[in-house]
Amino acid sequence: MTAVSVSSVSKIFNQGRTDEVVALSDIDLEIKTGEFVSLIGPSGCGKSTLLRLIADLIAPSTGTITVAGKTAGAARKEQAYGIAFQQAGLFEWRTVLKNVELPLELRGLSRAERKAKASEMLALVGLEEFAGHYPAQLSGGMQQRVAIARALAVQPPLLLMDEPFGALDEMTRERLQSELLAICAKTGTSTVFVTHSISEAVFLSNRVVVMSARPGRITASIDISLDSRDEAGRQSPHYFECVTSVRQALRGSPLKSAS
Amino acid sequence: MKKVAYVLIGLAVFVVLWEGYKLVGNPEGTVVLGVRILPRADDLSMPHLWTVIERLSRPEMTGGRPVWIVVISACLFTLGITAAGFVIGALVGLLLAVAMQRFRIVERGLLPYVILSQTVPLVALAPLVAGWGGTIMPAWMTVSVIAAYLAFFPVAVGMLRGLQSPGSAGVELMRSYAAGWWRTLVKLRFPASLPYLFPALRLAGAAAVVGAVVGEISTGTRGGIGRLIIEYSREATSDPAKVYTAMLGAALLGLVVAGLVSLLELPLMRHRRHVEVVTL
Repeated sequence: MTAVSVSSVSKIFNQGRTDEVVALSDIDLEIKTGEFVSLIGPSGCGKSTLLRLIADLIAPSTGTITVAGKTAGAARKEQAYGIAFQQAGLFEWRTVLKNVELPLELRGLSRAERKAKASEMLALVGLEEFAGHYPAQLSGGMQQRVAIARALAVQPPLLLMDEPFGALDEMTRERLQSELLAICAKTGTSTVFVTHSISEAVFLSNRVVVMSARPGRITASIDISLDSRDEAGRQSPHYFECVTSVRQALRGSPLKSAS
Repeated sequence: MKKVAYVLIGLAVFVVLWEGYKLVGNPEGTVVLGVRILPRADDLSMPHLWTVIERLSRPEMTGGRPVWIVVISACLFTLGITAAGFVIGALVGLLLAVAMQRFRIVERGLLPYVILSQTVPLVALAPLVAGWGGTIMPAWMTVSVIAAYLAFFPVAVGMLRGLQSPGSAGVELMRSYAAGWWRTLVKLRFPASLPYLFPALRLAGAAAVVGAVVGEISTGTRGGIGRLIIEYSREATSDPAKVYTAMLGAALLGLVVAGLVSLLELPLMRHRRHVEVVTL
């Protein structure tokens, strides 16, 4: 089963004007159900644009995108994915619980169902005690966890994440990575994860898709098969081999052995 | 408790300034190069505060009602007009803001006229509106219309700014939930605009009071505090304290309206009250 299928997609901003920008050109990408795929590349390579295209937040200039066998637009209307951005983007006037309830509210669930499901999701990210707090009372890492809980609330088959841990410190980041992996394993969601951190991409993914800039293209797709995704996994030789091959792919040429 | 103390300190400062100036100020005022830069401090221009208070308890005219009752009932009359004007103005402002947010072309076309509307002098507008009294609406209502005309402006401008305040993250999030314009308005734009709406409403409240007081005067409507100020000021030479009682009433009216408007804020801005950040 394919969760996401992107075929010969390109995206040109401001087409036909002097400030025309080719953000993506000729992208083909297949993501299998349950797969965790990271998009990595230099800034301006269009990785966020690709994520937005899958989310149907913007429309492709050419090509087609299907999510779970439907067009991206239809998938969005069915809330077939959950999304989290670099900024938590919580609604400051809602409590933590109400923030997580928002997508459920828009789906028309009853009050009791919403509360039960949102509490469950908060427990999943370890924030059940903070249900009644307002976002402004929480630290950045906690806000980001709330945003992830919100993305997971509708239990979407697909999770789209745009540098969700980008603004966090290293410690929080590693803890949230482990939490995210545990959640994905538990719920069996397919995930598209945009990042600019090589180690993060390797640690989290089944596959790392490397992109290059101007125009945005996919230059390599590297399969990762870590035995375990924990501290031991982070120290294993295979982990470092994968990091090296992703780095080489990003540079576009093999590294000198000295590095 | 602290708030009460601040109010009392504020009053005390005012009393000290007023009476202090009367003590040291030149009774004829201070004139520099033919321009009076400080007001007269004599009892005719600046009666002692206790004279004003004492005047409140005496009858308006021999055998009439005490002045304080006259002033309070005039204030209540004007409060009613102000409230009607405030509500109409706020609603019109809200609707305009929503329309301008929804359609960019409406914003482009309408916003200049919204701003232009406030440059039309009220004295030019009032006789026109006053003509409607007794025909399509009761006379007091024309004053409300003038108050609304002043009150809608801050609401329209502030609310538009508020509705446009959510960043692309929030808007994209709502789009990812397949929420249309209306649901985005209700769940995102309205709540996000509240911090902009309340200051705008406070301005609108003040504008409605000014509109009501000035409107009463320029339409010649009887029974309100604006009219009372004019009536009492005619007696200023023989009974200077009297006009100050009416002005005191007008000031009180402004404070009451400001207070009522800020009461609206309490239930809706709960999330702004606790700020202690949990760091875990």
